[in-house]
Amino acid sequence: MHPPDRFTCEEVFARLDDYLDRELTAEEMRLVHAHLDTCAACASEHQFEATVLTGVKDKLRRLSVPSDLMARISARIAAERPGRGGLAASPSQ
Amino acid sequence: MTSQVAAGQPAPILPGSAAQFEAFLEPVLDAAYGTALRFTRNRADAEDLVQEAALLAYRGFGSFERGSNFRAWFFRILTNAFYSKYRKRKRQDTDVELGPPPELYLYVQTATLGLHGKSTDPAQALMAKLESEHVTAAIEALPEEYRVVATLYFMEDFAYQEIADIVGVPVGTIRSRIHRGRRLLQKALWRIAEERGIVGTLTDAVDEGH
Ligand SMILES: [Zn+2]
Repeated sequence: MHPPDRFTCEEVFARLDDYLDRELTAEEMRLVHAHLDTCAACASEHQFEATVLTGVKDKLRRLSVPSDLMARISARIAAERPGRGGLAASPSQ
Repeated sequence: MTSQVAAGQPAPILPGSAAQFEAFLEPVLDAAYGTALRFTRNRADAEDLVQEAALLAYRGFGSFERGSNFRAWFFRILTNAFYSKYRKRKRQDTDVELGPPPELYLYVQTATLGLHGKSTDPAQALMAKLESEHVTAAIEALPEEYRVVATLYFMEDFAYQEIADIVGVPVGTIRSRIHRGRRLLQKALWRIAEERGIVGTLTDAVDEGH
């Protein structure tokens, strides 16, 4: 048994994904953080995963949206008859 | 999120609500298109999907609770529209068999290449070489159930519970799909980096950091 106020490397590794996503309880977040502060091996893995995660998110979000998309949606909404509303009024072609 | 409208009975569309609806939609439209593009993997289908979701959302706008999260509400409609439109198609043959997801895949691969313990951060060196196109290709290579969840996760920063509400599956399932999807994505990224000759340039990139 180890002190309940500490996480082992194994316990930290099992929680690394949730820690990166801040999906742990406040107490677990604290325990993982405390371990990463003192364990170079786990800290290196965490740093690597965090960098990849940030890089993937950043690169995925760079995209060009068709400039007239909102205008086309507005036109289709305008073509819906207010009052007649509902799915029955939807054009089906 | 509960609907105030009885099932099967469309909410009335009030005069002036089109402008109000569009004021809600416009700020999330770019993100919705980006997500639709990862879902469908092509621009024409993505545009169709976003337009269809927008119309569905407009018709159901009466059931949107003012003050609640419009983005999550709209993405649920978008995701449902994607599933109802594309799920019945036969399995996409572009889905790659990725095998069981290994842990710390990129960490291990870059360590094996001897890129760790140098002055240049190995993860940063790798990410600097990968372009949006490569990351996109990797996410599009994921099997559909992982691709949808991973897209909502990577593109939108939704919390696990929000993704569970959007996709309509238990949060535990979402958690494991995100974790697994992230590992599958790392493996796909490395394969693409190898295919595009990026891996071969990494050693130089890290050594130049000296
Ligand atoms: Zn450790």
